[in-house]
Amino acid sequence: MRFFRIALVVLALMAVMAAPMQAQGKSATVSWPQEPDTLSPLYTSMTFAGYTYQLYLSGAWAFDADLTPFPVLVSEIPSVDNGGINADGTVFTLKLKEGLTWSDGDALDSADFLFTYEMIMAEGNAVGSRTPYDRFVSIEAPDATTVVITFAEPYAPWLSLFGAVLPEHVLRPVFEAEGSIDTADFNRNPTVSSGPYVFETWEVGSFMRFQANPAYVLGQPKIDTLVVTFIPDEVAYVAALINGDSDLGTFVAFSDVPALEEAGLTVEVIPSGYNEGWYLNTSAERAHPAMTDVNVRKAIAMAFDRDDFNATLNYGATFTPHSFWENTPYANPDIDPYPFDPAMAAQLLDEAGWVDSNGDGTRDKDGVELVLRFVTNTRGIRVDLQAIAQQQLAAVGIGTELINFPSDQFFAGYAEGGPISTGQYDIAELSTAPATFPDPNTVRFLCSEIPSDENPVGANDNYYCDPELDALFEQQSSTTDLAERIAIFHQIDQKMFDAAIWIGIWHDADVWITGSDLQNVALNGVTPFWDVQNWDVAS
Amino acid sequence: MARYVIRRLLQAIPLLLIVSFVLFALMQATGDPLATMGGRQPTRAADRERLARQLGLDQPIHVQYVYWLIGNDWVVVDAETGRTGTRRGILRGDFGVSYATRQPVLEMIGGRVPDTLLLTLTAEVLILTVSLGIGIFSAVRKYSFFDQAFTSISFVLYSVPVFIMAYTLIYAFSIGLRRAGLPYFPTSGIFDPAIGRTFEQVVWHMVLPVLTLSLISIAAYSRYIRSTMLEVISSDYIRTARSKGITERRTLFVHAFKNASLPLITLIGLDLPFLLGGAVVTETIFAWPGMGYLFINSLQRSDYPVLMGILMLIAVGVVISQLIVDLLYTVLDPRIRYS
Amino acid sequence: MATLTTHKPVRLMESDNQRKNSNRALRRFLRHRGAVFGAVLLVFVIGYVILGSLLFSESYANFNDTSRRLQPPSTEHPMGTDNIGRDIFARTVYGGQISLMIGFLAVTVAVLIGTTVGVVTGYFGGWIDVILMRLTEAMLSIPTLLFLLMIANIFGGKVPQIALFGRVFSGSVVVIIVIIGLTSWMGLSRIVRSLVLSLKEAEFITAARALGASDLRLIFKHILPNIVAPVVVSATLGVGGAILSESYISFLGVGVGAPTATWGNILEGSRQFFEQAPWLWVAPGILILMTVMGINFLGDGLRDALDPRSDKSA
Repeated sequence: MRFFRIALVVLALMAVMAAPMQAQGKSATVSWPQEPDTLSPLYTSMTFAGYTYQLYLSGAWAFDADLTPFPVLVSEIPSVDNGGINADGTVFTLKLKEGLTWSDGDALDSADFLFTYEMIMAEGNAVGSRTPYDRFVSIEAPDATTVVITFAEPYAPWLSLFGAVLPEHVLRPVFEAEGSIDTADFNRNPTVSSGPYVFETWEVGSFMRFQANPAYVLGQPKIDTLVVTFIPDEVAYVAALINGDSDLGTFVAFSDVPALEEAGLTVEVIPSGYNEGWYLNTSAERAHPAMTDVNVRKAIAMAFDRDDFNATLNYGATFTPHSFWENTPYANPDIDPYPFDPAMAAQLLDEAGWVDSNGDGTRDKDGVELVLRFVTNTRGIRVDLQAIAQQQLAAVGIGTELINFPSDQFFAGYAEGGPISTGQYDIAELSTAPATFPDPNTVRFLCSEIPSDENPVGANDNYYCDPELDALFEQQSSTTDLAERIAIFHQIDQKMFDAAIWIGIWHDADVWITGSDLQNVALNGVTPFWDVQNWDVAS
Repeated sequence: MARYVIRRLLQAIPLLLIVSFVLFALMQATGDPLATMGGRQPTRAADRERLARQLGLDQPIHVQYVYWLIGNDWVVVDAETGRTGTRRGILRGDFGVSYATRQPVLEMIGGRVPDTLLLTLTAEVLILTVSLGIGIFSAVRKYSFFDQAFTSISFVLYSVPVFIMAYTLIYAFSIGLRRAGLPYFPTSGIFDPAIGRTFEQVVWHMVLPVLTLSLISIAAYSRYIRSTMLEVISSDYIRTARSKGITERRTLFVHAFKNASLPLITLIGLDLPFLLGGAVVTETIFAWPGMGYLFINSLQRSDYPVLMGILMLIAVGVVISQLIVDLLYTVLDPRIRYS
Repeated sequence: MATLTTHKPVRLMESDNQRKNSNRALRRFLRHRGAVFGAVLLVFVIGYVILGSLLFSESYANFNDTSRRLQPPSTEHPMGTDNIGRDIFARTVYGGQISLMIGFLAVTVAVLIGTTVGVVTGYFGGWIDVILMRLTEAMLSIPTLLFLLMIANIFGGKVPQIALFGRVFSGSVVVIIVIIGLTSWMGLSRIVRSLVLSLKEAEFITAARALGASDLRLIFKHILPNIVAPVVVSATLGVGGAILSESYISFLGVGVGAPTATWGNILEGSRQFFEQAPWLWVAPGILILMTVMGINFLGDGLRDALDPRSDKSA
């Protein structure tokens, strides 16, 4: 009987459910599919942590909707013309705006920049990445509004510097007491702000709330309260956007796009530098013997119908990229992706000497069957793609063994025996971007980065080495002239395409969803809140 | 009695040490916590090497285990500055720091315990009350229509996988009610952030996950209670009690139930520590921010300190609840004595 | 949550009584309506996965076609198609073979370990008893599902695919069988140990020992035959548990990998289309339910049938 009594209570509660929303001023809700690890900019590579700290911490500059940098804490973007960059591109001078303050009134000056550098490099702080601060020769503050950074060599990707600046007056005492700010309370409960919003509360597992910062250097935001919620379940996430519980969201699967559009929401596909692609292992020692033959690699690219996959499983919300730098000026516009052409693929394989001599349906050569290890992680869409690709590759006589690793093993390092790092694969599918996007620089394809026992930190997972390609990468990384750099990248792109070491599967741009109540929203894939002070909600 | 308790606790020490070492050794193989640092692509190799050194992941596993157990504040970790470690080890209450969030593990787990217990304890209480009611009723009215009907239903429910139960409930009471234009139950989280964590919100969000957890166990428990009650009812002393003219109600609830409660307590004792572990599948489906959910997330990140913390906490819970169960026996059954 | 272990120790039967008892047991079993119902369910499921494979080939079950994805049930595809246009009917047939195989083999592993540990500890006692029982306790104090998830994560992707009976399996099938087996022997070993402990003192054992029977002979000739019944009951119920375990870990993403289908990973793929395409989860869900239910009924019936003391009315 007690059960019925409980049921009655539940029913009664159902009746009184419609609790009114208490709203003071304008409010909007942003939803992430993952809860940020931390609010500190130093300790995680998680995309959503990266987006969220931008609400309360400003950087030297940010990027606008076209990914053009504009000044935030600096008074102008350094250039050779304004004297911010010296002639050979090794010395950068940042001129800060006058009278910058933290939200508690304390001055924000060059000392905070130096402190940020100190924290990143301190041995006591186990920060996620030191790039590119570990390349500094020196960093100095001649006065309160000037920061001078010197590199040993010209450093083209300098725009990735100082995306956030830490408050010295808050964190210095912690660092001095503990020898580290790894576990500083500030990382989860920041007390001061230099960004558009001031942190208010973090309800673990549910949401964070921010209030507008009247002292924000680019002006007080129009929306007073910004709530950031975390909804990890994909179905619930999409439902929250459709119901209007969330005003802004991202990272929805391409397959959810039709339903979201049907619900009248604005769907924008915004490049974040990422492209889903197949890394083809070219190592003579570690890969299948066929993989060293460029024609076999081209045949692999032609045997899988990427356009059909993007039209069906990706619901036409994305497309097949032709370049590692897809959708940026650095991509060579004259390149078309390898077409889906099984006949051509078969011909290339025949010419390469891989024929089905024993009639088992799989090509072979010198007694070696053409069976390739196709590895990826356990993400649903990749598992589906593997099954489709296996069937299509089998149609041209390429056998595949499908292997799925949990992500923490798939991406594990060389010393930990990670399958990509150690080259234990022939085809590996993953989504990658230039490390300091929007800068195009990458070290992934350099000969010197080929991993080995002597060089376990190498990043060249293709095990591909072409001295000419190396020279071009070397040349672009010290070229500060944009047009010149773009021209070099077009050559790089052509070389990589011809070598067929990376096959683009889909342009992995981020899908952003904006509710109809939210106005004036302009986003980008790096600093989505660059213009949040101008967002508004319909009253 | 006190000596018995002390002896039992002393015996638990080697057990927990074995458990912790085996788990710690297995942890090292689950994956690389530095693989992506939560990001979308692999961590840069140079950063990975430095982080491994700073976090002590480059040490041999037995050294890592010792540090985890008793800390490293007696070891010079940086030869240049003569700096010693800062960890105090789990034996001194320092569960370590999460690799993912850099938050003390105890704090992270502590944040999840209330929400997990809210879910699992509510379910356990519901399970016990309902299944006691049904179990006793069907034992007393053996072979009645109710008994037969419930026996059939419980056999079906007992075999339902948790996720099928969850899906069916979501389909019926969330999607179904919504399509019918009725108020529907939420399927994710613990409250609606737009409204806030009010009592009504939490109860409202708890309905489906609690039902998911309860329905299956109610079936199993009430079957068990029914058969224990039947055994007791047919025993000699109950017959004696009846013949002495004690009322049926008193016989049932005082004499029979007291004796039937022994096996029940064993069962609850087995369950309790695992309530702390949350309900992985249910919490995952309903995005309930509990321990099971934390475990899955930490597993995906190979966040060993958190995983170890959760598992060790449960292991300690098992030891303690077993002890409590054994002590309760002496209270309920004077024939049992420990010395 | 509440994983209920309802292993009631079964009373011992002495060997000379065995034949008489087995006839009685069969009669009791057949009288047990639930057990017969369970057997019928299981025969249906086994028939489904075996006869079904006469209807389609395994390559048909894996055949995908993006132009017919997410189709609702039709005459051509009686259970609809999945996200990449595979026929769900065919996949539940071949997935069922793997799920059932995992269930039976995992329990075989568990029975081998559990019986060995139980007999060794119960029969020999002493330090080996102390060590193995501590290990058993240690295993029991770790939540099984969490432990399973952890070990599945360790071996994910590390075992290459294997060819068996002319079919190619994802290596993860073997991994899953072994780890489920490795994490589910503890209850059985305790039952066996207590049975062996009391058997050891039985008169016919003492007599055999007095006649000079060796330890091995005693174990294989006299002890093992007398513990078969409770082991069979426990193993039967264990198969259901193992099938559920497989579905849980596949559902949580660390189970059997592509392209090998199991009921669990078919279900996993359905989450995203939960509302849009309910046929993705209904068919494998019902099949798992039928199997587990059949096994539970059967196990219950077997227990009643093999345990002469058990009160049929209870």
